[in-house]
Amino acid sequence: MTDDRPPTLGPEAVGLLQRIALRGDVARRLEIGSARAVLRSVVEATVALFEAEAASIALYDAATDRLVFEVAAGQQGQGVIGVAIRPDQGIAGYVYTSGQALALSDVASDPRFGRTVAEKTAYVPRSIVAVPLVDDHGTIGVLEVLDKRSQAAFSLRDIELAGVFARQAAVAIRASRVERDLAGLLRSTLAELASTSAADRADPVTEAALDELVLAATDGLGRDDDSRLWTLAEQVARIRGIDPDRLELVTDLLAALARQAERDVRSRRRGRSSPDPRHDR
Amino acid sequence: MTDPYLPAWSEPFVGERRGDLDRSVPIAGIDREAAFGGVDGTGVTVAIVDSGVERDHPAVGGKLIRSVKVEPGEDDPVVTDDPEAIDVVGHGTACAGIIHGLAPGADIISVRVLGPDNRGKGTIFAAGLEWAITQGASVINLSLSSKSDAMFAVFHEIVDEAYFANVVLVSAANNVPGPSYPSLFASVISVAAHDIPDRWTWFYNPSPPVEFGAYGVDVDVAWKDGSRMIATGNSFAAPHVAGLAALIRAKHPNATPFEVKAILAAISNGARPGG
Repeated sequence: MTDDRPPTLGPEAVGLLQRIALRGDVARRLEIGSARAVLRSVVEATVALFEAEAASIALYDAATDRLVFEVAAGQQGQGVIGVAIRPDQGIAGYVYTSGQALALSDVASDPRFGRTVAEKTAYVPRSIVAVPLVDDHGTIGVLEVLDKRSQAAFSLRDIELAGVFARQAAVAIRASRVERDLAGLLRSTLAELASTSAADRADPVTEAALDELVLAATDGLGRDDDSRLWTLAEQVARIRGIDPDRLELVTDLLAALARQAERDVRSRRRGRSSPDPRHDR
Repeated sequence: MTDPYLPAWSEPFVGERRGDLDRSVPIAGIDREAAFGGVDGTGVTVAIVDSGVERDHPAVGGKLIRSVKVEPGEDDPVVTDDPEAIDVVGHGTACAGIIHGLAPGADIISVRVLGPDNRGKGTIFAAGLEWAITQGASVINLSLSSKSDAMFAVFHEIVDEAYFANVVLVSAANNVPGPSYPSLFASVISVAAHDIPDRWTWFYNPSPPVEFGAYGVDVDVAWKDGSRMIATGNSFAAPHVAGLAALIRAKHPNATPFEVKAILAAISNGARPGG
């Protein structure tokens, strides 16, 4: 695939690609970072209400197949941020995989408990409650609360209460995930496209240019909540991973979209005064 | 009075509400002695679909007769023997210990279904459950559930398969509203936790979806690497009922899944024989 052989696209394919892009656009309107702020407020409220030493939220990241601790509250909780564990590992992994809420105490009596996390955070809890974060599509992560100060163990009521906080968090996470998955997918595909065509080009595509392309591809489209977009986005992601022939087809499809986007960027530069189209939103 | 913070599924089984479960059942002439007196579960095989079972843990009493793991395959998940018989978390060993405590004669099969996710955990779980049904397990303990609507039909079919294959499925209820399969299906025995520290105390709730309440709060359970833990959750209540079901099936090998459920209800705490 080179620039002098423009791929031909059926109107249906173009329509589907536009709708993928549009999903990213909808999500972007939710403002990057606001979801994280909600999550942080959820764990902070959790720590306050439970009078706990720490609370944290781990989210499943499909790209790395890991549960990643995204936010934490409480003095003892900060070290966990950024820690990634296998989804079958430890209490968080179990709760994520099984979807089953748990409370455990006497945790520290077993020196092997959660060793990986404990070593990284230098904090080993005595008691823990962990509940799944569940949205309409399944379990997406885990909320953990560590060491209630007033009691040696968490109760059934604590599990339920943690579940209430987890539901709040799940709503925010869903929004952030839509944004991350789709913008990420589009960006990495365009980057791939840029690197494969760089040999043919005198001017390699820069990071900033890629950002602009992703933005342009998702700009100016209306809102749509069609769940087919998810199916297609997943299919595109899967195809990219396994089949070189189909990868080329998808790359061609996205190449067409990218060209369209480049044209749009150029015409917008001519027609607008703002240097960064993101500030127009 | 109604406490807004009580766990939804456990609510009928704790505090004042528990009194509502005192009821007469339309089955006379059966008591615990008739249901499982003099048996220890010998002859019955219980499968535990979970995080694995540690073969050498003292709480399992050497009753683990087989251990397999289910992992993603090229197309469908693949079931392979797990000769090391490990438990990657401790939870499956906790379930095994509870079941062994109630039915020390029962054999145990471990089906490990936890693994790297790859978006396939629902299908791995389903494959493990299906495998257990075909392996001669008389009772299967499920402390897991799928939250994915896409798995509704899959689990519905497997649960029916189990029922018609005369296999009792005991499933931990979930505290999170929304889909939870197979625990919400009618033919499984769904279980939530109560807080009376006695493994021989269980309740029947005539207002489903959760029909049984068993000991599941601050339970002293077996855990990974030969350790023990104090644990709370519906997933520790379910194996209590699985153990009781194993005892009933040891005493009454011909009892079908619905008869086992009826007997469990008839001899539950709070049940009075009569009309």
